[in-house]
Amino acid sequence: MRLQIAFCVVAGFMLAASPSSAHHGAGLFDPGETVTVVGTVTQFHFVNPHVLVYITVTGEDGKEIEWAGELTSPNRLARSGSADVKWHKDILRVGDRITMTGNPARNGAPAMDITKIVDANGVALIGGAL
Amino acid sequence: MMQYRPTAAAMLIATLLSLSSQTPAAAQSAATLEHGADFSGVWTNVNAPGTAEWAIYTFSEELPAMTEWGRARFEASKPQRGPRGVPVAETDDPVYKCFPPGTPRVYLHPFPMEIIQLPGRVMMVFEYDHLIRQIYTDGREHRTDLAPSWMGDATGHWDGDTLVVETVSFNDKTWIDRTAVPHSEQLRLIERIRINEDGNLQIDLRIEDPIALEEPWIARRTYRKTDWTIEELMCMDNTTYEPFENLVLEHDQESD
Repeated sequence: MRLQIAFCVVAGFMLAASPSSAHHGAGLFDPGETVTVVGTVTQFHFVNPHVLVYITVTGEDGKEIEWAGELTSPNRLARSGSADVKWHKDILRVGDRITMTGNPARNGAPAMDITKIVDANGVALIGGAL
Repeated sequence: MMQYRPTAAAMLIATLLSLSSQTPAAAQSAATLEHGADFSGVWTNVNAPGTAEWAIYTFSEELPAMTEWGRARFEASKPQRGPRGVPVAETDDPVYKCFPPGTPRVYLHPFPMEIIQLPGRVMMVFEYDHLIRQIYTDGREHRTDLAPSWMGDATGHWDGDTLVVETVSFNDKTWIDRTAVPHSEQLRLIERIRINEDGNLQIDLRIEDPIALEEPWIARRTYRKTDWTIEELMCMDNTTYEPFENLVLEHDQESD
């Protein structure tokens, strides 16, 4: 678990105006904390109001935890300039191995406001250059 | 004064639309059918430096001065955004029941809008829930035959290259912003819209409501032009977000 879920408390690291925060009050996620998990995509919803990504993360003890992450709207991601690459409805598929970074839920729920996704080839789909 | 003349295609569309509109375009003089500037295109909001934190949910850093009537409603509301923000599951924000945000709040939702200019009319087509505003510039008066509405009744005129818009006849079911600043049916919105020195669309707002506000709320929104197209964005799709938020909220309960 410790190897794969590395909590990096980096107060200054925050995507300016993280677009996916548009829907919610400040309460749910902690913009002052960052978590990175590596896992396998189980669900990918390219839907309004927010794109949702679910991945299964296997800890050192072999137990699986499903992490959920949210991004901004699909319309925004499909427009050039809003992410490292232009997103589309098939950019992630069930079974894909990805690294997902974001601001975690304040209450410890395995959920995050995603700030970065890197695919199995090391290509940042969002959050790399921004 | 630069006159923007509509294209033949726009004229054709206008002719078709005028078949069902209240005032036939043909009855209007050429002067009132022309526009003082060309705002056509898809625009997206840009925040002035230092405003990013609040500009997504309200019109100014400080709350406007509210009357006792306004303050009472404000304090009784549970907005989802701003310093008093609560989770989506707990808010009484009408937009989360998919009622329209109304005017001018629609400007606060972070999605683009397209401006289409037809003879005697400027249309704002918002990506958010495909809401539209029709600003008639053909000299007509405000409608008095219809009930108050979500987006209001908008008429405008050109002051040189600035479009001056007056919108009235609002219902009182919306909030002025996303932090729950309320308004009454006496809401009156005056906008001065122009292309500024940076090539951006600048909308200066004067939000008046003697029932809710002690004094007019003055604000500015700025938009940059894009090469985007307006995509589909239906509010009812917001239900797809509930399982995600519940996953977080229910974790609270499990921990209790």
